Amino acid sequence: MSSNDWTIRADRISKKFGLTLRQSMKYGLKDSLRTLAGRKVDTNSLRAGEFWAVHNVSFELKRGESLGLMGVNGSGKTTLLRILNGVYAPDTGEVTMRGRVGALIAAGAGFAPMLTGRENIYVNGALLGMSAKEIGRQMDEIIAFSELGSFIDMPVKNYSSGMFVRLGFAIAAMSKPDILLVDEVLAVGDLNFQKKCYDYLHRLKTNGTSIILVSHSVGAIWAICERGIFMHEGQAKLLSNAEDVIRAYDDQNSCSALEAAIKEYDHNLEFSEAFGLPKRDAFQKRAVVTMSCPTLRVLASDGAEERTEFGFEETFVIEAVIDVLTEIAFPLFRLTVDAVHYKFFAKTDSFDQFDHLRPIKPGQYRLRAKILDQNFRPGTYRINLSVCLNHQSRSEFYWLGSKAILIRHPRDRFLYADPNAVMHLESDFVLSSQE
Amino acid sequence: MGRNENNKVPVRVYKAGGSAGGIFSSLRMAGEEVWQSRYIIWRLFARDFIGQFRQKVLGIFWVFISPLLGIASFVFMNLTGILNPGKVEIPYPVFVFFGMTLWGIMIGTLTTVSGGLLAQTDLVMRTNIPKIALAVTGLAHVIYGILINLIVLLIITTSFRVIPSWGALLYPFMILPLVILGIGIGLILAVIGAVARDITGMVTTAMGLAMYVTPVLYTAEFENPLIQAIVNYNPLTYLVDVTRKVFFLGNFQGLTAYLMASGCCLVILLLGIHSFYLIKDKVAERL
Repeated sequence: MSSNDWTIRADRISKKFGLTLRQSMKYGLKDSLRTLAGRKVDTNSLRAGEFWAVHNVSFELKRGESLGLMGVNGSGKTTLLRILNGVYAPDTGEVTMRGRVGALIAAGAGFAPMLTGRENIYVNGALLGMSAKEIGRQMDEIIAFSELGSFIDMPVKNYSSGMFVRLGFAIAAMSKPDILLVDEVLAVGDLNFQKKCYDYLHRLKTNGTSIILVSHSVGAIWAICERGIFMHEGQAKLLSNAEDVIRAYDDQNSCSALEAAIKEYDHNLEFSEAFGLPKRDAFQKRAVVTMSCPTLRVLASDGAEERTEFGFEETFVIEAVIDVLTEIAFPLFRLTVDAVHYKFFAKTDSFDQFDHLRPIKPGQYRLRAKILDQNFRPGTYRINLSVCLNHQSRSEFYWLGSKAILIRHPRDRFLYADPNAVMHLESDFVLSSQE
Repeated sequence: MGRNENNKVPVRVYKAGGSAGGIFSSLRMAGEEVWQSRYIIWRLFARDFIGQFRQKVLGIFWVFISPLLGIASFVFMNLTGILNPGKVEIPYPVFVFFGMTLWGIMIGTLTTVSGGLLAQTDLVMRTNIPKIALAVTGLAHVIYGILINLIVLLIITTSFRVIPSWGALLYPFMILPLVILGIGIGLILAVIGAVARDITGMVTTAMGLAMYVTPVLYTAEFENPLIQAIVNYNPLTYLVDVTRKVFFLGNFQGLTAYLMASGCCLVILLLGIHSFYLIKDKVAERL
């Protein structure tokens, strides 16, 4: 706070919106007329049907510092960015921006479809606060950066969205702003151009530009930003270093995936009920007439508490109640694990855990399996229980039920990876000189 | 950063409760913001202007044709005897073209300014250009339209062998109150219309009715005393009628009323700017 080096200072800013168009119109008119009549409008509290899109967010950004804004869709990132860009006036608090603000949310703003790319550079450049002289000076550089080549003299209405973004980014980048607000626009460009953009962001940063980057790409945030804000339901839940923010964001994402998984499961159950399909076997075309699983739970390692969230490398227990209807000769119970992108990437079953197959008689049983030393990476997983009924000639697997669980990020380690990775390998890294 | 030669760092503050102050601070801000954004206003005008003509077959000729088509129906009605304009000193087509031009300037300004923000929604949402600059961007078009109309007017007057008086030189100043009025109402509508869309349409329709109690298509003399009273109390009457008389006859009769009406326009402009600044922060979230 002491130094005079800050470029952005946000002090407890909030912004509220009406949920429905009708309501926001009513309040808007009311507020407008009140203001016109010279009366104060109270913006500090919510009225019926309003919510905080951004609530009490404070932060400070220094020159050459980058801040990543992460959060699931609808968490208030764009609204916050718009407040910083002066589009929305905050309902509470105050923002001060020092220096020329370039906004990549404005990339391509004001492009006229009938004008050529070159002509649009003048328009967009002016909107970003560049003078005609400045634009003229930078023209060649802008065109070179955009890599549009001879397309620059083509009307932009024939441009693809990627070309739009290329040109937009090139102009915004060359305007050499003191503060750059970047919304998730770069995702449109091809990989090569994206890389170029991030390189350029780095260069701007080294030259003292403060950057606020909104992105869902963990890699982008981690590469550009040293600090970040994790936003959830309008609030800055966490203002910390990039790693912490990424962890919080990733966990939140897993949480949403878990919720969705549970909902989908319930929905499927409802669906099967509505259409008279056999319960719980909705996913399996063939009903298991010999066995059913009325309850399936995931428990903490002590085997008592039911949970859906587990820590990284934490042991958990699967518990199932099984009704056996007819005697089964050699039942084999199998657990399989699905990740978001992969089905069936891990399995364990009673046979390979040295349980000898033996016949079971009709009745109710309780099956417990303790999963030891699991090394799933943070994320959402679905555990499926199935049974193999060994017949003389073939073995058939029947799905009995499934449960979704969430593995959280460990507090003490940063396990960043592409979402493609699901398993974690514990390893010993040694880097030694070969000279 | 090396780029900032004059070392002046612009500072922007956005805070709750907005920037609203008294009427004079609104005026000052309007002046400053428009001045600072003059280059942007010019660029946006050039953009719209060029873009517009690239899409039209007749190109630049369109601007000459459209005002002529505008008066055709009234001239036709006059020829068939449906429309009796009263005693006019100049040929009716010239009379009606002049009246329609003045009226068009006012309505054109009003609709351009009031629709300015809506037309630039994209820029309002994505850039931090002062909103007043976006609202008045269209004015460049209005000025352009005035010039074109003037040329068409000269062509018409010459073809009817009407010689304007020396008062025609005052034309640019005489139409100023109409432009000011248009901007004033337009600014109020720009912000209120952004919150509730139908209000702009309502006002524009109402203004269309007002044309019939203003001597645009006919003179200001009526037999019905009620209508006569309305016309007499309508400030627009003087803005149109006196301007026309000065232009063609060099006759300054009614100048006091004209100046009073101009004063009204100025007050409306001030109110317009002030209400614009009071409500403009509400605009972005309603667009």
